[in-house]
Amino acid sequence: MNEIPEVIRTIPLQYYLFFSSTLFVIGIIGVLTRRNAIIIFMCIELMLNAVNLLLTAFSAYRSDANGQVFVFFIMAVAAAEVCVGLAIIVMIYRNLRSTDINILSNLKW
Amino acid sequence: MRLSDLYFLMPLLILVGAATLNMLVVAVKRNHKVIFGITIVAHLVAVFTLLQLNGSSYQIPPFFVMDGWGIFNLGLILLTSLFVTLLSYAYFEQREERKEEYYLLLILATLGACVLVISQHFMALFLGLEILSVALYSLIAYLRTRERSDEAGIKYLILAALSSAFLLFGMALVYAVTGTMSFPEIGVYLQSVSELPLLLLTGFGLMIVGIGFKLGIVPFHMWAPDVYEGAPAPVTAFIATVSKGGMMGLLIRFFSQADAYRYANLMLIFTIIAIASMLAGNLLALRQKNIKRLLAYSSIAHLGYILVAFLAGNRLGVEAVSFYLVAYFITSLGAFGVVALLSDTERDADQLEDYRGLFWRRPATAAVFTAMLLSLAGIPLTAGFVGKFYILASGVNTQQWLLVLMLVLNSVIGLYYYIKVIAAMFAQTKSVQERRKVLHPALSFASGGAMAILGLLLIWIGVYPTSLVQLIRGLLATFMTTF
Repeated sequence: MNEIPEVIRTIPLQYYLFFSSTLFVIGIIGVLTRRNAIIIFMCIELMLNAVNLLLTAFSAYRSDANGQVFVFFIMAVAAAEVCVGLAIIVMIYRNLRSTDINILSNLKW
Repeated sequence: MRLSDLYFLMPLLILVGAATLNMLVVAVKRNHKVIFGITIVAHLVAVFTLLQLNGSSYQIPPFFVMDGWGIFNLGLILLTSLFVTLLSYAYFEQREERKEEYYLLLILATLGACVLVISQHFMALFLGLEILSVALYSLIAYLRTRERSDEAGIKYLILAALSSAFLLFGMALVYAVTGTMSFPEIGVYLQSVSELPLLLLTGFGLMIVGIGFKLGIVPFHMWAPDVYEGAPAPVTAFIATVSKGGMMGLLIRFFSQADAYRYANLMLIFTIIAIASMLAGNLLALRQKNIKRLLAYSSIAHLGYILVAFLAGNRLGVEAVSFYLVAYFITSLGAFGVVALLSDTERDADQLEDYRGLFWRRPATAAVFTAMLLSLAGIPLTAGFVGKFYILASGVNTQQWLLVLMLVLNSVIGLYYYIKVIAAMFAQTKSVQERRKVLHPALSFASGGAMAILGLLLIWIGVYPTSLVQLIRGLLATFMTTF
């Protein structure tokens, strides 16, 4: 049984970079095109997870623990962010009976 | 972790303690006055402990560094937050929503900004930024029953989360190339390479998205007017000052510690951003009838002015940024404080019509607001004028003629819409309607006193800037020894 960083290192670094960038871009496209607040949130989570993956890969390649510690911070903060975010979405749903962000257009110019 | 670390981190620890204490007190009994008192005392004690520290550079590896720049920013943030608290009391007393948690969130947001300005590591940067942002999400959407409040909340939430994802991706790329997350070590790496690798440049570019969003500069400014309008007036004051100032403090620390001023392409990006912010902010403000949105566009332009000084990239530039931040904080607090004072229970006083003939109804408030607007416009005898003069001096000193020219041009454009508001306040009106619930005079004492202090400070710094300049120079003596 190999060590996990060694397993990670069996795949070339570029592949991780391409894969994470693709995930990140899918996340951006999702945020820009979807209109449901909850799905937008899922897309942002996808972007954060792309970053996590990238940090883990770099950390394993450099044999430096900093990156992996950072991943834990990101996971914790993302959870906190989603808590507050979902609370606000619930509040909007109570007021408007919808989570479609197109309805929210009182504020412009 | 040494014992002396705790001594240097005392202002932050006091804020943590105050937040916990507030939470416990709310659990036992809800009392607006008690929570308000705890918050004020906590801020005062934090400022007091800060005064005990001298300006020497103290490292708390790997996350923090406590130097003159950090102490200056901490003091500025804590005092600003103190004023926001003072302004909040009368504002929230009028509203029937639960008001105690507001102070808890405000303390946490202040804590986040404090962590941000003393961080010298990506992890500390991220944690500080997120403590600030998460607290701000709930602060913006705090008045739950108002439709605009939750709309502003969700807009800020989605965009802030998106921008922190960009920031993180940028950090990951910088980490990939340099193999470190601490600013000084990134600086060491940058010294060893003659040219920026493409991956590193991409990383910096993505980080600029995250930083630019928090600063509210063009092209990441779209949230600013909406959030300013939707958020409660004291929270708007907080976003305009602490949240932007904290990020500016971090930006200057990053650039000086990593010595990133040397790269022409990074500087070019910031030059374009600065010019675009000044122009877009001022031009979009011209036709604005809503005071909060007008001030939002004006703050976009002001961040552009600050970037001019930042781009000078020398000691004079940092001094100018510091001075302008003080002037801008006082002015923004004063302006949004007036909005908070005039707001009634249903909505904030954000229409230009609310201010028509204000001088004849409430001369003192109108006088303070006039002083604040004149300072924003940069009229002599106000802090804003000296600040702008300082920025011009730093721009001329480094021969950035294009930026200087744009700054002067934009000051002229800006004058128009500030004067428009002042003219409205002095206009004679026939019908005088006061829809406000009349508060006990003692209640509005905190806000009134805070406004008076802000007005006096504004004039004092405008007439006699030497003392502030000397204070800033003294604190910056230990910062940026390279220049």
